[in-house]
Order: sequence, then structure tokens, then C-alpha cells
Amino acid sequence: MTVQLGIFYILAAFVVWAAAIVVLGKNIVRAAVALIFTFCGMAALYVLLDAEFLAAVQVLIYVGGITILLLFAIMLTSGISSVTARVVNEQTPFSAIAAIGLLLGLIYASTRGNAAMAAPPRLPETAPFLGRLLLTTYALPFEAVSILLLAAMVGAIVLARKE
Amino acid sequence: MSMTTPIPIGTQVITERLGETMEEMYVNMGPQHPSTHGVLRLMLKLDGEVITDCIPYIGYLHRCHEKIGENRNYVQIIPYTDRLDYLASMAMNFGYVLSVERLMNQEVPPRAEYMRVILAELQRIASHLLWLGTFGLDLGNFTIFIYCFREREMVLDLFEAVSGQRLNYAFYRIGGMAMDFPDGWIEQCREFLTWFKPRIPEYDALVTDNILFQKRIRGIGVMDGPTAVNYGLSGPMLRASGINWDLRRNDPYSVYDRFEFNVPVFDTCDVWGRFLVRRQEMIESVKIIEQALEGLPSGDIQAKVPKTIKPAAGQAYVRTESPRGELGFYLVSDGTPKPYRYKVRSPAFCNLSALTEMMRGCLVADAVAILGSVDIVLGEIDR
Amino acid sequence: MDAVSRAVESFYGLTTAWGIPWLIPALVIMTIVVSIILGYISVAAMFLIWWERKISAHIQVRFGPMRVGGWHGWAQSIADGLKLLLKEDIIPSRADKVVFVLAPVVVFAAALAGYVTIPFGPGLIVRDLNIGILYMVAISSLTVVGIVMAGWSSNNKYATLGALRSAAQAVSYEVPLVLSLLGPVILAGTMSMGRLVDAQGGTWLGFLPRWYVFPQIVGFLVYFTCALAECNRLPFDIPEAESELVAGFHVEYSGMRFAIFFLAEYANMFAVAAIATTMFLGGWQGPLTTQLPLIGVLWFLLKCYFLIFVMMWLRWTLNRLRVDQLMDFAWKVLLPIAFANLVITSLVVAL
Repeated sequence: MTVQLGIFYILAAFVVWAAAIVVLGKNIVRAAVALIFTFCGMAALYVLLDAEFLAAVQVLIYVGGITILLLFAIMLTSGISSVTARVVNEQTPFSAIAAIGLLLGLIYASTRGNAAMAAPPRLPETAPFLGRLLLTTYALPFEAVSILLLAAMVGAIVLARKE
Repeated sequence: MSMTTPIPIGTQVITERLGETMEEMYVNMGPQHPSTHGVLRLMLKLDGEVITDCIPYIGYLHRCHEKIGENRNYVQIIPYTDRLDYLASMAMNFGYVLSVERLMNQEVPPRAEYMRVILAELQRIASHLLWLGTFGLDLGNFTIFIYCFREREMVLDLFEAVSGQRLNYAFYRIGGMAMDFPDGWIEQCREFLTWFKPRIPEYDALVTDNILFQKRIRGIGVMDGPTAVNYGLSGPMLRASGINWDLRRNDPYSVYDRFEFNVPVFDTCDVWGRFLVRRQEMIESVKIIEQALEGLPSGDIQAKVPKTIKPAAGQAYVRTESPRGELGFYLVSDGTPKPYRYKVRSPAFCNLSALTEMMRGCLVADAVAILGSVDIVLGEIDR
Repeated sequence: MDAVSRAVESFYGLTTAWGIPWLIPALVIMTIVVSIILGYISVAAMFLIWWERKISAHIQVRFGPMRVGGWHGWAQSIADGLKLLLKEDIIPSRADKVVFVLAPVVVFAAALAGYVTIPFGPGLIVRDLNIGILYMVAISSLTVVGIVMAGWSSNNKYATLGALRSAAQAVSYEVPLVLSLLGPVILAGTMSMGRLVDAQGGTWLGFLPRWYVFPQIVGFLVYFTCALAECNRLPFDIPEAESELVAGFHVEYSGMRFAIFFLAEYANMFAVAAIATTMFLGGWQGPLTTQLPLIGVLWFLLKCYFLIFVMMWLRWTLNRLRVDQLMDFAWKVLLPIAFANLVITSLVVAL
């Protein structure tokens, strides 16, 4: 049990606990706050994987952007504090089966191992490497995603405008 | 708003009026609020961030001033007039004694006339300084507040030296003044004017030329000339809408016709225009005071008036230019020492009535600036 | 600095000789470092509060604190801190207790975590991360979350509105902030704060220091404006404005919780000034740093406090902007300028 493995287990437990609050929590604002902790935990896990750039961007975008948006949406919905989220509904048995099946499949896959799961070579700095990749090998997906984002922004503005 | 509809408070209205737009909300400002300049309650009807209606609730400071006046004799009313517009007490005194003197056909000695003008113009400067300080404070500029109050303290020191009081002076008397200037007062006044003249450029550097300040107050609270006249606006509110009307020039009273001064008129019709008018008025008041000090005649400061002031039956309405606008005192005498009817035409009251019109279409954050530009004093509005 | 790293090495050597796993000395070192940073933040924040009152007073032709502690009221902050500690802890009855208590913690933790990559002197960084500046920007976006939590959990309509306004303002100004910081990153070729300062050593023409503020003056001004907005300082302090219609997000907080918000604000101010100093003003670079490395700390602090002085000066001179004018300014003015700055910088560097 190395220190890294120990830290991984602590972080994983934290992330799972926070995610459980998100999914099972009755108070929607508390669920949103728990989501923030989930994302932060994910960022920490990225650091463990030597993807520090990704971790920083995760915090910057997910926590600093998307959760803010989520909180905005929650707070600007009138009467939200009187609504308790429903934790179980009619589809619970089916989703339980699907979730357990997925879990078993993941456990099986992780014990089987795969060549692709070998640890990649450690890079001194991921940011320049990522930058070069994004602008050369993966330039097309990069541009496609940018156009998608632009379309989303324009759509949001058009939808939100009052006539 | 009729008396039968319930007064909406906060977001209660949303549940009552769900049939209408979901966006409309009532927000209550005051009566206790750092920016309502007195006990004024404003009910703002908002559509998102835009004000669609504004309903002022006044009367929190009503003290039955006019009714009290019917039960006091003419001299006893003078201290009550101080408390009307407590930020311009000298101007209130001035208007009132002029009205009684018109009723009695009472002559006033020339020295007293000059004294009256000097003190009234000093009061105008003090009132505009306070307005400027609080206006800047509302917008977030804390420093201008201290600077303006530094100068205002000097004016209040002058007033304390002459009348013994810092705020409610009761200094004017029917037929003259209570006391003469003490020794050294004129020099102190001249010192103040010398100190004050370079202050206006200092305020300019801080606020007038500040582009952030201009951005905040340009283009809001618009009230064009004809509408202003229809609403009965007066004072800087009227002159900022392009109407050249100042009672000191258009309907001179006391000795104002002997002085050279300009009447600042701007035609921007918005809060920026009112700001410029009041700023310029301070400069013009300085000119008037200097001329008055130059030409101050010697002599008595109080004419011979009977022990009991019993004007002949009749009525008089005298209007003067207070820092807020046309201040009118209407007195009806029935031959007794107490007036039969005493009415005050409050400039701030009439100016406030136009608030709804000015607020429509502006954003919530502008409400504070627009209200500040009206320069209300609740003592005068509610009486 | 060498002395510090040698001390750390020898400490590790000592503990491994005793057979203690490396985790324990690592934790001890971390605790010591965090205590130093916390201690510095507390003292710095107290000083800054006193200094702000003094600056505001002197701009306003008055004196400010003069009595507490004798000379110019230097103990005023300590007295204020004590007072806040002794106040009753009031939580609004219908507030969400967990979120209410957590909000100041989040804000302060974010402010504190940003100090990890600040280079106080040559070699005096807690951890010279590869992604130094990106890390600092990411952490500073966490304060927004705390503010929204604080506003919501107060169960006060005006606090919620104020918090949402603050969040909108912070998020809008983050974009030109990051873009303006990319200029020095491109010039230095690295995001690491320590290496950024190293790259600003030396002089042009023998006297002009190679600070990035000279080629990147536009970037510096954009950054400084955005930093003011991030700290909710005037002219961008709509979220904290008392005389506007909407009260601030921390209106329901009192006592020690409010003190934490206050502390976090000043810690944040120092952090953004430190970033500006590192990226644009050459960090700890200055005369005599090669002969006497510790003097780098002095230069760094002088530059930081100068920038903080400018921030305070602006606060007491300017008035507030309206919310929509604020947003207009961020999106229509600062963002295009920041983009243009970035494009021109990259063109110049590439050519």
C-alpha cells in the first residue's frame, strides 16, 4: 500500500460520497454544492494521473463555470426551495439493474487488464504537449468543437432574448 | 393605485398576480434606507431590471405645520419655518418673512435686505454642497462627501457665528433681522469665499470630469421642458430642462435686482443637467455674496414694527427661489395676530410628483441617482 | 533558496535514518509551510485593513485610526479582530445551516490555496507548479462559488440577488483576465511562476528592467482592471454596495464568519497584486538580488503593496458603475482588447 494508493482511495471515497449526495440528496442546493466537491475531487484524481493541466482546467471550467451556471439556474427558478427532489421513481429497479451490471462489467474489465491501460510515459510538462497536439494532430476536432460551442452560444442568446 | 388594492410588499405580489407577467415584481425602497434622503418610501414596480412604475409614499414626516401655523402668531411661526426644509432654513425664513411683510406692507431697512441676500446665498451654497456630497455618496464616491462637508462646515461656522445655531436659525424677523453681523464676520465670510472658489475645480477633477460619474448619470431621469412646466417643476429641475426661469431674475424679490449674476440653464434634461445646474449655481452664489458684501450699507437691521403683528385682513403669496425651487408662502389674515390660513408651496413636493415620470424606463440602479437629483427634503414635502 | 532546500533535504534524511516513512516529514513540512502562509495572510490582512483606513482617511482630509495602540492607531485591526471574534454567532433561522457555514470556508480556502505558487523571493515558492498561473486562476474562480453559496444560504432575497450579480461580474471579468495573463506566458514560454520571474531578470539598455509591463502595458492595464473586478473593489463593487437597492451577499453574516469573508477579500487583493507583480512587474527582480537573495522578498513586497495602494486609491476616488455598464465594459471593451493583445503578442513572438 503505497502512499499514492492510499491517497487515491481517500480521494475516491470522497468523490463517491459527494456524488452520492448529488444523486440521493433531497435539497437541490446541497446537491449542487456536493457537485462542486465532486468536481474538485475529480481534479485531484487528475493530478494523481499526472494530468495537472487537465486538473486546473477542470477546476476552472467545471467548478468556476458550469457549477456557477447550475447555481444560477437553481436560484433563479422561483419556488425552488419548496421542491424536494424525488430520489426514487418508477424506473428505479431497471436503473439499479443497469448500474449493477455496469459495475460488474467494470470490475471484470479492470481485473482483466489491457495493453491500452499501461501507464503512459511521464511528461515533464503536459501543457505544451497538449497544445501542440491540439493544434496539429487534433486540429480538426478542436475547430469542430469550437464551432459547436459558438452555435450553442448563439442559440442560447437567441433563446433568451425577449421579443 | 386605488385604496382598495392591497399594498404589495416584496414578492407577495407574484402569487397574487400570477395572471399578469411573471417577471413583474414590486421592490420596496425605504422608508429607512441609506439613499432615500429622509423618510420616503418608494414602491418600484420592476420588469426584470427596468422600472415600469414608481409610487412614492410620503407623509412619514408630517407634523401638521400648516395647522400649527393657524394657532401661532406671525412671529412664533418663524422657528417652525426653519424645520420645513431644514437644509435651507435661511431660505425658509426669508420666504416667510417676505410674505408677512407683503401682507403688512412693511418696509425693510437696506442693510437688512443685503444681510438677507448674503445669508440666503450662503445657505444655497451649503444646501448644494450637501446635495453634491450625498449624491456622490449614493453613487459610491465616498471622498466627495467628505470634501463637500468640509466646506459646508465652514458655512455652518459662519451661521453659528451670526445666529448662534448651526442648523435651524430662526434668524429673520418681520421687518429685518434678529441681530447684526458680529465683529469679524465679514472677514470670515470673505475668507470662506476665497477658500471656496478653488474648490469647485477640485470637485470637477473628482466627479464632473470623471467619465465613470458621467456614465452613471447621463441620459437617465429625462424630463423635457414642456413636461417639466406641466408638472410644476421649479428650481434646478426646471433649469436643467432648458427652461430659463429663476425667480431671482424673473420675479425679483428683496434686492436681487441689484446684483449681476447668471442663471445657469442647461438643456440636457437629465440628471447630468441638474448636476451641472447646481454646481454652477454655487459659483453664481459666490458672485452674489461678493457683490452684496461690497455694497453692504450701514444702518439699522430692523425696522419699527408694532409689538403685536396684526396685519390687515387680506392675503399674500410670496414666492422665492429656495435651493430646491419655487418656495411659496400663502398667508390669509383676518386681522388677528394669528393667520387664518397658512399654506406653504413646497418646491420639493412638486418636484417629487414628477418622479414617477422620470423613473419609467430606467434601471433599478438608476433609481437612486434619479431620486438624488430631485434633491428632496422630506421636512418640506410632508410639512 | 539553497538554505531552505538544504534544510528540507537534511530533515528528510534525518527521518529516513530513523525509519519513519516519508509521508510523516512531508506532512510536517506541509504543516509548517501552511502555518507560515496563514500567519503571513493574517498579518498582511490586518495590516491592509489598517492601511486602507489610513489611506481613505488621508484622501478624505481626515486622520483615520489614531488612538488604538498609540502611534496612528496601529493596533486598530487587532482590536477589530478581537471584537469580531467576541460577537454572537447568528445564523438566520431559515437559512441552510450547512451551506451557510461552508460558504466562508470555501471563499477563504480558495483565497488561501492561491498562495501556493506565489514567488516571494528567489526560490521562495511553496511549490513551483508547471501550470502555476493557470492554477492560480482556477483557484480564484472558486471564490465565486463561495459567494453564491453565501448569498443563497442567507435566505434573504437581496443577498441572493447580490450574490448572483457578484458571480456574473466575476465570471465575466475572468475571461479578459486570463487572456491578458497569456501575454507574459507567451513571452516567457512557460506557465511556471518561478520561471516567469527568472525570465524578467536583466535590463534593456542597461537601465530599463526587462519587466513584462513594458511590452505588455495594454495587458497589464486590462489585467489590473479585471483584478479590481475579481476582488469586488470599487468601481466594481456592486455586490457589496450598501447604498444601492440590493444589499451585499454577506449581509446576514456577523462576527467571525464575516471576519473570514473580510480576511478573504484582503487575502485575495494581495494574491491578485502578487500575480500582477510576478507576471508584469518582474516579481522579486530588482537591484542587488544576486548578491543578497533575501532582498528579492523586499522588492516583491514593495511592488505588491504599491499595487494594493493603487487599488485602494482608486476605491476612494471613483464611483460605482452600474451593473449593465460593468458587463458592457467587460464584454465589449476589455475582451476585444485582451484578444487583440494576445494576437499581437503571439505574432510578434512567432516572427
